[in-house]
Amino acid sequence: MTTGVLPRHRSLVWAGPAAGIALLLLAFGWHISVGAKTIPLPTVAEALVAYDSSVFDHVVIVDLRLPRAVFAVLVGAALSVAGALMQGVTRNPLAEPGLLGLLIGASFAVVIVVGVFDLASPALMPLVAALGALVAAVAVWGIATAAPGGATPLTLVLAGAAVTAFLGALVTVANLLDEQTFEELRVWLTGSLAGRRIEVMWWALPWLASGLAVALATARQVTALAMGEETAVGLGMNVGRLKALVLFAVIALTASAVAIAGPMGFVGLVVPHAVRLFVGQDYRLVVPWSAIAGAGYLLLVDIAARMALAPVEISTGLVTALLGAPIFVWLVRARL
Amino acid sequence: MSAGTLTRLDGPITFTLPVRALALLGVMTASVILLLVLSLMTGSYPLDVPGVLSTLFGAAPSETAETVVWQFRFPRTLAAFCAGALLALSGATLQNVTRNPLADPSLVGVSQGAGLAVVAAIVAFPELPQVLRPALAFAGALAVAALIQWIAMRRTSGATMRFILTGIGVAAFISAATSALLTYGQLDRAMSALGWLAGSVHAAGWSDVAVLALALAALVPALFAASRPMAAMRLGPEMAAGLGVRVVRARVALITLAVALAAAAVAMVGPLGFVGLVAPHMAHRLARSGVGLHLAHSAMTGAVLVGAADLAGRALFAPVQIPAGLVTAVIGVPVFVWLILRTQGRSQL
Repeated sequence: MTTGVLPRHRSLVWAGPAAGIALLLLAFGWHISVGAKTIPLPTVAEALVAYDSSVFDHVVIVDLRLPRAVFAVLVGAALSVAGALMQGVTRNPLAEPGLLGLLIGASFAVVIVVGVFDLASPALMPLVAALGALVAAVAVWGIATAAPGGATPLTLVLAGAAVTAFLGALVTVANLLDEQTFEELRVWLTGSLAGRRIEVMWWALPWLASGLAVALATARQVTALAMGEETAVGLGMNVGRLKALVLFAVIALTASAVAIAGPMGFVGLVVPHAVRLFVGQDYRLVVPWSAIAGAGYLLLVDIAARMALAPVEISTGLVTALLGAPIFVWLVRARL
Repeated sequence: MSAGTLTRLDGPITFTLPVRALALLGVMTASVILLLVLSLMTGSYPLDVPGVLSTLFGAAPSETAETVVWQFRFPRTLAAFCAGALLALSGATLQNVTRNPLADPSLVGVSQGAGLAVVAAIVAFPELPQVLRPALAFAGALAVAALIQWIAMRRTSGATMRFILTGIGVAAFISAATSALLTYGQLDRAMSALGWLAGSVHAAGWSDVAVLALALAALVPALFAASRPMAAMRLGPEMAAGLGVRVVRARVALITLAVALAAAAVAMVGPLGFVGLVAPHMAHRLARSGVGLHLAHSAMTGAVLVGAADLAGRALFAPVQIPAGLVTAVIGVPVFVWLILRTQGRSQL
C-alpha cells in the first residue's frame, strides 16, 4: 500500500487532468456542434460565453443541444464511477451497474411508480430509482453469496442476469397493460439522452454530487479493499462501514443516471477498465479519471448515436451496449 | 436406478423402462389434453366442454364457435405445445452435451441469433414468405452458437463458465443490434417484429403449426437416434471416448441439432425464454430415467409449460394478452436462481 502517488504518476497529476479536461471540453463542443444543422465550434463557444437570444443558432445551442450534452456528461461520469467502485469493492472485473441488475432495478421502480401509481414528479424519480437499485443490488448480492461458490464474478453476473430477465419481463408486462403511459417510457427504457426534461436533472444533481463526493472520499480505502479484505482489515479499516458507504455512492450515482437517461448498459464496465490501463490500480486516480473519461466517452457515443444512421437516431443505450458487450466478452476471455 | 444407468447402454432402452417414468409420460399426455380443452374453452367467447368437443368433432353449436376454435384457439394451442416441446428438447440436449445445468437456448444467445436474423429479414424484406423464416432463424442461431463456442473454447480450463458468460455478452450485443434495427426500420414493420420478439403464439395459424410439426417430425427421430452418444457424453468426454463415442463429432452434431430445434421454435413464435432451461430440470425431478425417456419427459413438460403459460397470459389480464414468453420468463427465473444456488458446488462451473 503506497501512501503517496507513485513517481511515474507524478507528471500525470497535473499535466494529465489538464489534458483530460481539455479533451473533454473539445468533445463537449463537438457534441453541441453536430446535428441536423452543423454549427461551427466558434459559434458554440460564443453562444456559451456570450449568449444572444436574437441569434437563431444560439437559441438552438442553449435550449436544445446544451441540455443533452450536459446529460451525457453527468450520466457518463456517474455510471463510470459507480462501475469503478463496484469493481474495486467486489474485486470482480465484471462488476457494473447494468450487469449486476442495478439499472433494471431502478428502471423497474420508475416504471411502476410512473405507470401504475401515475406519479411522474421529477423530484421523486431519483429516490424511486435509488430504492429500486438498492433492492436489486441486495437481491443480486444475496443470491450470489448464497450460491455454494460464494460471490464470484460468475455467480454475480448470473444472479444479475436472472434479476434482469425477471424484472425485464415484468417491465414488458406493465408496458402491455398500459400502452399509453408507456409510450413516453419506451424510448427512455432503451437508454436515451433525448427529450428529457431539465427539472429531472436538477433533482438528480444532489444525488449525483453526494455519490461522487463519497466516491472521492473513500477512494483511498477502496484501493486497500481492492487488494483483499484481509489487507484492508490489517490496515485497521472498518470494512463494513466502508462497504456501506460505497454501496450508498453506487446507488446514488446509478439512480441519478437512470433518472436522467434510463438504463445505459456497459458504460460502467468499459470506462474504468480503460482508465486502469493508464493510471493503474490507485482508486484516488481511478475515480476522478473515470468521471472525466466516462463523461467524454458518453459524449462521443452520443455523437455516434446521432450521426451513424442520420437522420434516424439510435438510442444511446443501444450504442453503449454494442460497444460494451464485445469488451465484456474480451474481459471474460482475458481475465477469467 | 443408478446401477441400471450404464447397463441400459448395452441393451434396447425399452427393456429397462421404469414404471414410474412411464406413468409420468401418461400423466403428462393427459395434462396436455386437459390443457388443450381448457385452452379451447377460454377467451372472449367462452365455450363449455360439450361445446368444445362437438366443435372438434364437426358439429359446432354456432358458426362463431367453429371460427373461434378452428381458426384461432386450436392452431394457437398446438403451436404453443410444439414450440414448448422443441425448446425443451433443445435445452435438454444442450445440458447433456455441455454438461452444464444452466445451458438454455435463450441464455447462450441462440434464441437471440435467430431473433436477429428474423428481425433483419422482416425489416429489410417484409414480403419474405413465412416459410423461409425457420431457415433464416437456423442460420442466425447456428452462426451465433458457433461464435460463442469459438470464443469460449479457445482455452480449456473453466470452459463451461466462460461459455455462459460469453453467451450473456454475445446475447447483450445481439439484443442491442436487434433493437437498433427496430428503430431504423419503418414503424409498422418494426411493430410486427416487436410483437414477435416478446415470444407470443397469439397470431399462430395452421401454417405455423405445420412448420413446427414438420420440424418436430424431422428432428425428433434424429435426436432419439443420437440419445445413446448423448448418454455417454453426459458422463464426460473421457468416459464417452472410452465408451466408443467420437466425442468431437458427436458434440458438433448434437449442438447443431439443439440449435436447429430451438431455431424452429423461435422462428415461428419468437424467443420463449427459460423453457429450455426449466423443462428438462422439472422432468428430471419428476422421474429419474435414461436419456431417451428423459428427452420424452422434457418435451412433454415443455409443451405443458408453454401451453399453460399461453393460457395464463391471455386469461390473467384479459382482454390484454401477455405474451407466453413473458410468462415463461417470470416462471423460469426463480428456477434459474434455484439452479445457481444448488448446482454450483457440485458441477464446478
